[in-house]
Formats: sequence, structure tokens, C-alpha cells
Amino acid sequence: MIRTNRRKLALTSAVLAVAAMTASSLPAQAASDPGLTSTTIKLGITVPLTGIASPGYNKIPGAMKAYFDYVNANGGVNGRKITLVVKDDQYIPTTAVAKANELILKDKVFALVGTLGTASTKAISASTQLAKRGIPSLFVNTGFSGFADPKAYPTTFSILPSYQMEAKIMGKFLKDKYADKKLALIYQDDDFGRDALAGFKQAGITFTTAIPYASGSQSLPATGAGWISKLKAAGTEVTVLFGVSSASTAALANAYAAGYKTQWVLGSVGGDATTIAATNKAYVPLLFGAKGFSFAPAPTDATDEYIKLFQSIYAAAQPTQTFDNNVVAGMSNAFVAVQALQAAGSNLTRAGLMKTIESKGASFANPFLTPLGYSATSHVGATGYWIGTYDQTGALKPDGGKYTVYTTDSGTGPVVESTYKRPAMPAKGLPN
Amino acid sequence: MIQFINMLLIGIGAGSIYALMAIAMVLVWRSTRVINFAQAGMALLSTYIGFELVQKTGNFWIALPLAMILGALFSALVEILLIRTLIKHSTSGPVAGIVPIIATLGLLGVIRATIGFIWGNQDIQIQPPLSKVGFKVGEETIALSPMNLLVLLTVVGMVIILGFIFQKTNLGLSLRASAYSPEIAQLAGIRVGAIRTIGWAIAGAAGAAAGLLQTVNGTGAISPDSLEFSLLLTFGFIAAVIGGLESLPGAVLGAVVLGLVLAVVQIYISGTLVFIVAFALLLLVLLVRPQGFIGSKAGRRA
Amino acid sequence: MLKKHPLFTFIIFGVILFLLSNRVDELRVFQGATVAIYVIAIASIILLTGYSGQVSLGHGALLAIGGYAAALSRNEWGAPVWLTFCIAVLAAALGGYLLGLAAARLSGPYLAGTTLALAIGLPSIANQFTILGGEQGLLFDIGTPPSFLGEEFTQYKWFFWIASLAALIAIYWLRNVMNSRYGRSWKAVRGNDVAAELAGINVGRNKVLAFTVSAGLAGLAGALLAMTISTVSPGAFPLALSFSLATGAVLSGVTTLGGVMIGAVTLVAIPEIVDTVVHRFESSESVANNLPGLLVSTLLILTVLFVPNGPVEQMRARHEKRAKR
Repeated sequence: MIRTNRRKLALTSAVLAVAAMTASSLPAQAASDPGLTSTTIKLGITVPLTGIASPGYNKIPGAMKAYFDYVNANGGVNGRKITLVVKDDQYIPTTAVAKANELILKDKVFALVGTLGTASTKAISASTQLAKRGIPSLFVNTGFSGFADPKAYPTTFSILPSYQMEAKIMGKFLKDKYADKKLALIYQDDDFGRDALAGFKQAGITFTTAIPYASGSQSLPATGAGWISKLKAAGTEVTVLFGVSSASTAALANAYAAGYKTQWVLGSVGGDATTIAATNKAYVPLLFGAKGFSFAPAPTDATDEYIKLFQSIYAAAQPTQTFDNNVVAGMSNAFVAVQALQAAGSNLTRAGLMKTIESKGASFANPFLTPLGYSATSHVGATGYWIGTYDQTGALKPDGGKYTVYTTDSGTGPVVESTYKRPAMPAKGLPN
Repeated sequence: MIQFINMLLIGIGAGSIYALMAIAMVLVWRSTRVINFAQAGMALLSTYIGFELVQKTGNFWIALPLAMILGALFSALVEILLIRTLIKHSTSGPVAGIVPIIATLGLLGVIRATIGFIWGNQDIQIQPPLSKVGFKVGEETIALSPMNLLVLLTVVGMVIILGFIFQKTNLGLSLRASAYSPEIAQLAGIRVGAIRTIGWAIAGAAGAAAGLLQTVNGTGAISPDSLEFSLLLTFGFIAAVIGGLESLPGAVLGAVVLGLVLAVVQIYISGTLVFIVAFALLLLVLLVRPQGFIGSKAGRRA
Repeated sequence: MLKKHPLFTFIIFGVILFLLSNRVDELRVFQGATVAIYVIAIASIILLTGYSGQVSLGHGALLAIGGYAAALSRNEWGAPVWLTFCIAVLAAALGGYLLGLAAARLSGPYLAGTTLALAIGLPSIANQFTILGGEQGLLFDIGTPPSFLGEEFTQYKWFFWIASLAALIAIYWLRNVMNSRYGRSWKAVRGNDVAAELAGINVGRNKVLAFTVSAGLAGLAGALLAMTISTVSPGAFPLALSFSLATGAVLSGVTTLGGVMIGAVTLVAIPEIVDTVVHRFESSESVANNLPGLLVSTLLILTVLFVPNGPVEQMRARHEKRAKR
């Protein structure tokens, strides 16, 4: 009796299983790209959650998730809810490739989003053959200008302006403002700093003192003090800092300790007061009077509608974390991704999504104060910078009371003042 | 001229930070013939404990000695639980030489992951107890601040106190005896096991001071992945080895030389070269004067 | 079987791998390639440590030399793929020879620390010379699989084949070296310097030779690693990699090549297993981030405490004991 029952059961379940498999495989899978059902979209990100580069950057996925969850709670994108699969790449290219493979082959994500670091991004792109497989890599977090070139990286889209753009705009600013001053430059001696050198050269800027440092050495006890001693000896009046935030911290703290006054001009990467504050609150006042560059509204700018919205979403999602530039970067990234998915329509495909960004990307709603540069011939994101001065609280306030944005390209193009006016935020910051 | 004096001060200031770690390494080496590659991890843990203590007590001057005591206890515990077991299980042959290296490396990984579990992978901050603004000499601000002075005095104090313990007390005699010849020390009635534990405990206290002081003297921020601590380990090791690995004054001398050489490279040559110069310096000393500045010739040669 | 017909065994093993690569999905194929690379790198450390009693905490630097040599020879001179691997081996062996000259004069902890300093110092060189491509590194493209393998033959399967073949050849060759005159004298050195010296073995020269061969293997692993990620950059050879390789060697057992797979598989499998478990139980982020490190490190400590010679050697010893009874 028991035996027959068991056999029957086995038979029935086998039939059911086959039926279920055919049923589930027919409508949802019909010619659709991976990571997609009629109600969900799966995206994947690899970022350093642990390892030397993790502090600061490890807040990005949480920020992105916060915005995606907000969108999901309000109906999703074209009826689809977004899930974000997060992998820790420790800022090691080898690990990044292994994790990207897991995302693509095991989790079967629809697209990668927000990959961080030039070397990791390059390795992922080459090894997993993103282009050949037609897998979109949206809005990579690196200022290396190469990723904006669709010929070299057809499925990759940048979001940050390139370092070269920044240096060109900075160069023009230095020329306009401090032409007769003694200029110095502290830069990280790798591609990051070297892109900047190229930009300054194009802008026709010469520095009386140029101080390179090896990436990582800014954490040694003598490094910052050494810079200041050199600057002092050269009688520098204006010092440009084109490095990471830990380098900015080292420079500012040691200048303070040495009682040395100079006009600081900080690049956008190392000039984020909230990151500096995350290192040590005590350093924030040292930023006072320094010049800074940004393309997004300042995280402290509560009058900005995007910042206001992001702050409230993030406070609800991550109540214990401080809202800083990394959070703004993550949420903006997620915001633009949602705009792109929205614009690609309900009949979503990978190819369709990329086509949409190329054709309509330049007019996506986004928090940035510079135009987006997406087109069929360029995958560059933000295209310029505004210049401001830090106040006592470490907030970067735009010079002249309003955001004056300069734009340029990564090549030999001129630096021009932009007439771009950011379109109003869609209602409640949701796709509509 | 002022730049030159500042360079000397910068080099000595940096050297004093390396010295703290080098002292801890030398103490461990002398008591158990082990290079503790988890030293930086233990210092990191002590620094996190120091951070909690500063939060609780609100006073750095209470937190520092407490953290040093807890660091010493933890280090003693490591000796008892890990190193003793190692020695008990030790086999002769090829593995014997590398077992302690690998075990301390494993310990480093365990400590880091544990810190990550407890405190997360974000930065935490500790505010410095003293001003970091340099003293004024006439019009000039020199590269020596009360904070630097504190680190320097701690190093000098440690060398004097430890030197006194080693040279003038029975404990010191036992420490030295068990380091040079455990078997004979044992025969002479010295409890070698307990003495080793004490050696580790002192090293743990020194490491805790190194971690806390380097943190507040630097940016004030640490995370389980802080690059500062990998560098502290490597540079502390270099300093200890070029100093001779056997002697505390040697370790301090090695640290100051390392600090000065790197300061010269940074200020007069190029900041890009610091890591490779540090390696070259280590290699040079090992090849030209393998026993270090101060040290006996035996031991480090294969 | 292995004792009597080693070549035959290796060929059988290769055929199994070949058949397996057609059965499993692409992610497993990629992970298989990674395991093969770890096998070579770990074997290189086992050779150094187990057979000459030296330890390196900076093997990542030697892998980097191999990776860069392969990429440069391909990009600058258009060298064919097999040649780039040979160049990688030679370049790393040269680096290993120079390092070995210094290393032969240093005992355990000194060498460990020196190689550690090298692993920190060497990558900064990549930024000194523009030809090395700086922080973003160089592309290393070995091209698509030959067309006769068919349309369905993926790039990763191609990587897997190359890496596995290289691993099989390397281990087979290494096994023969170990049983040769050199191998025996290395074993003598590791056992007892003085005795070896008395037996007329030039200890110093043997150590340098062991270091050179080990570095050559590391260079091969580096080139293969560069192949799987199609790039080389300073970031691909961090201190963490050097530590992982040393860990893998200890987990495998440093006295014998027999367990070399254990360490390699562990290094690849643990993060994967943790990932699956963590997702099953929806644990917190800090658990997911720190659990792999904790597991690997704990395993490392337990291994050195309880089976310092490695699981394979332990089993063999136990087996022998039982046989004697």
C-alpha cells in the first residue's frame, strides 16, 4: 500500500515538475535577456567592501540599494523591481574578475553597474568579454577617460568626468585667478595624477614645484610633513592637490601643524569634506577658504531638491551612517540607472538599454549640475565642473553664490562656460 | 637651513613611530625567536580597544595605559594558547622554521576579520590628546609638536625602562637567559615558559602604545583594513632588522635611520621612491652588515 | 600506480579534466582555471619551502614579474602565446635568481620579512616607467580559441585548457626534478645545513637554484593569472595574494607535492561556499565580508598546529605506522 502510494507520488511529482518546468520556461524566458523577468531586474556590482580602498567606497552599494528600494516601494521601473547583487572585490583586479564572473554566470545579472577602479574595470571588461557578450556595464566609477570611448568599450558607460577634463578646467581657473602666483602641485604618481599633468600641460600651466607621491605612501608618518617642508622652502603661494582624500588630509593636517598658510586648490577626488570628516572631524575647519571642484551638488546643500530627497531616503535606509559624497555618488548612479531603465521601456533588452542611453542619455533627469555627454560616439557621463570655496563647516559653496559650470572634453577642446540648466527633478524622484 | 633641520625632525618623528613597533618585534624575537607577523594586527586590536576606552572614559590618558595592559594580556594569551602549542607540537625538519611565521600570519587574518565583525569595516576616529601644531622657534614653526614629543618620550622611556629591567633585575636576567639558551635556562631553574609569556606581554603593551600613538599622531582614523598598519608592520620589521633584531637601542637606531633616509628621499629626491628605497635599504643592510647596526653575527645567516 | 607509471597517470588525469571541462558550466571552468594557476603558484612555494626550507611572503612580486613579462612581450614584440609564457618563466627566474643570491644568506624570518618588503616595494615600479602602463596596467590578450575547436568553445574553456596543461606539465616536471640529484640535495639542505655541507653539497648554490626554479614557476603562474584577467596591473598582485599563496602552500602541506590541489581548491572554494551560505541565511553584511578571511585564517592556524606537514603527509605517516604494526 505504502509502496504504491509512494510510486504514485513519485510519478505525480515528476509530471508536475515537468509541467512546471515547461510552464516557467515558456513565457518568462522567451527570448529575454538574463536577469530579467516580467516583475524583476537583477543588477550586479563589484566594489571594495574590505581591503585598503574600502573605507568610504564601501558605502556606495548601500546607497544604491537605498535608492533602488525606494523606487521598488513605489512601484518599480515599468512594473519591475530592481535587485542589486553586491560582491566584494577588495580593489584587486583578479578578485574583481572572479566576482564579475559570478555575477554574470551564476547570478545571471542583466547588467553590471558602478564598477569601481580603473584597473578592475579594465580587467573585468577584457576578461569577461563584456562587449562580445553584449553585457552592459553601466556608469563605472572611474575617471579614466578611455571608458567613455564606445569604440574601445562598446558596452561600458562612464559617469564621472575624466581627470583630464578636471585638470583642464582647473588649469583655466588657475590662469584666470592666480596667474602671477607661485604655483605648486602635489599629485599621485600614477595614471590618476598623470592624466592631470596632461590636462595642466594643455591648459599651459607650469608649476614651480611639483611633488609626486607613491600611492599608499601618504599614510606614512613623514610624507605630509615632507610636502609642507618643500612647499615652504619654495615659497609657494597656491598649492594644487590632485590626490586621494587621505593625501588631502595629510597635506592639510601637516600644513596646520607647521603653521603654514597657502591657498589650497583641491581636486574633486580628494576634496570631499565629508570623506575628510569621516577620517577626522577635526580636519574639517582646515578646509576653510580652500578652492574645490565638483559636478554634483554638495552633500550639505539642503536647498538642492535631489540632496533633500537623497538625505531622507538614506536616513530611513541607513540610519547609522553619515550622508556623504560617496552616498551622493552611489545614489546618483542608481538614479541615472533607473532613468535609463525607465527610458528603455517595458520591452527591455540589453541592446535596447544601451541604444537608449546613447540616443536619449543626454536628456536623462539626473542630480548633476553639468550636462551628461552620452551619444552614439561618446559614453562620457558628466562633462564639467563648478568651482567653489569651502566654508567653516567644510561645505563647498559655489563661488559667486550660484553654480557656474565649466565644460570641456578629454582631448584638445576648449574650456567653456556652460549654459546648462538642470531640468527639475521628476516628481518625488521617481521614474514616471 | 631650516628646511634641513625640519627634515631631521620629520625623519626622527617618523622613526619614533617605527621604533615603537620595532621594539615590540625585538621583544618577541628575544623571548621566543619568533618574528610576530601578527604584531600589527595585535596593535590594531589594542587601538580599537583604546578607542572604546576613550569613548567610555573620555580621557586618552586613562585609555592609553589601560589599552597597554589589555594589549599585554592579549599578547600573553596568544603566547599561551598559540605559541606554546606550536612549540609543543613543533617538529624538526623543514616546517619547523616556517611554522611560527605562518601561524602569526594566520593570527593576523583572524584578528582582522574579528575586528570587522565587531566594529565593521568603516573608519573609526580617535582625537589626539595633545596639540599637533609644531613648536615656535622665533618666527619659524618647526616640525616638532607636543604630540611628536610624546611619541619620542614614550620611545625613550620604553628603552630606558626596558633596558633597566633587562640589565638590572632578575626578571631581565631570566628573560635574557631564556632567549639565548632555553635549555640551560631551564636547568638553572628558570621557568622558561612563564618568562616567554612575560616577554610577549611586554611586547603586547609596546605594540598597543605603537598602535594608539601612531593613530592619534597620524590621521586619527583606523579601519581593520588600514594601510597604515600593513606599513607599520613592514617598516617596523625593516627597522628592527637593520637595527640588529636583538637589541632595543638597535631597534630605535634602525627606526630613526629608516625615518631619516625616507625623509631625505621624500624631500630631496622623489616621493615615488619611498617603498622601493625602504626595500633596498633592508637588502643593503642584510647583505653588507647582516648582523645589523647593533647585533651579534650569529642567527640571521642561514 | 602513480609510483610506477607517473606519466600515464598524468595523462589520465589530463583526459579526465578535458572531459570534465565539457560537462560543467562556464563559471566552474573559470574557477577551474584559477585552481590550476594556484596549483602552479603553490607548487612553487612548496618547492621553495618544503624542499629548501626557505619561505617567501612576497611571491606575488614574482608572479607580477611573470605577468608583466608576458604582457610586454606580447604587446611590444607580438610574441606568440607559448613564447610569452616562456619569457615569463625566464624573466621571473632571473628575478628569483637575484633575490635568491640575497635570500641564500638569510634564514627563515629574515627572508620572510625581506620578501614581504619586496611585495610592497615592487608594484610601485610599475608607475615609474610608462611602458609598464601605470596603475591601470596593460592589456594581455592571448586571442580567441582556434576556430577548429568550434563556435561553442568559450574563452574560459580555452583559458582552462591552457592553465591545466601548464599545471600538469609543471607538476610532472617538478616531480621528476624532485626525484633527481638536485631534488635530493635540496631535501638534504632543508634537513640539515651542516650535514649537507659535509656531504659535499654546496648549500648556498643549491638554495639559489631552488629559489630560481621556484621563481620561474611563479612567473608561469603570473602569466597565466594575467591571461585569465586579460590584464596586468600593480593591483592584481597585492600583499593579500602573496599571503593567500603562502596560506595555500601550508594547507596543501609544504613537505610534499602530493597535496597541492588541497590548498588551491580551498582558496577558490571558501569564498564561494561562504557566499552561498550567507545568501541562504541572509546574514548581515559584516559577516559576509569577514567570514571568508576568518575561515581561511583559522584553517591556517589549525593546520600549522595539528598537521604542520600537511594533510597528505599526515595520512601517509599514519598509514606507515599502521603498516608497521
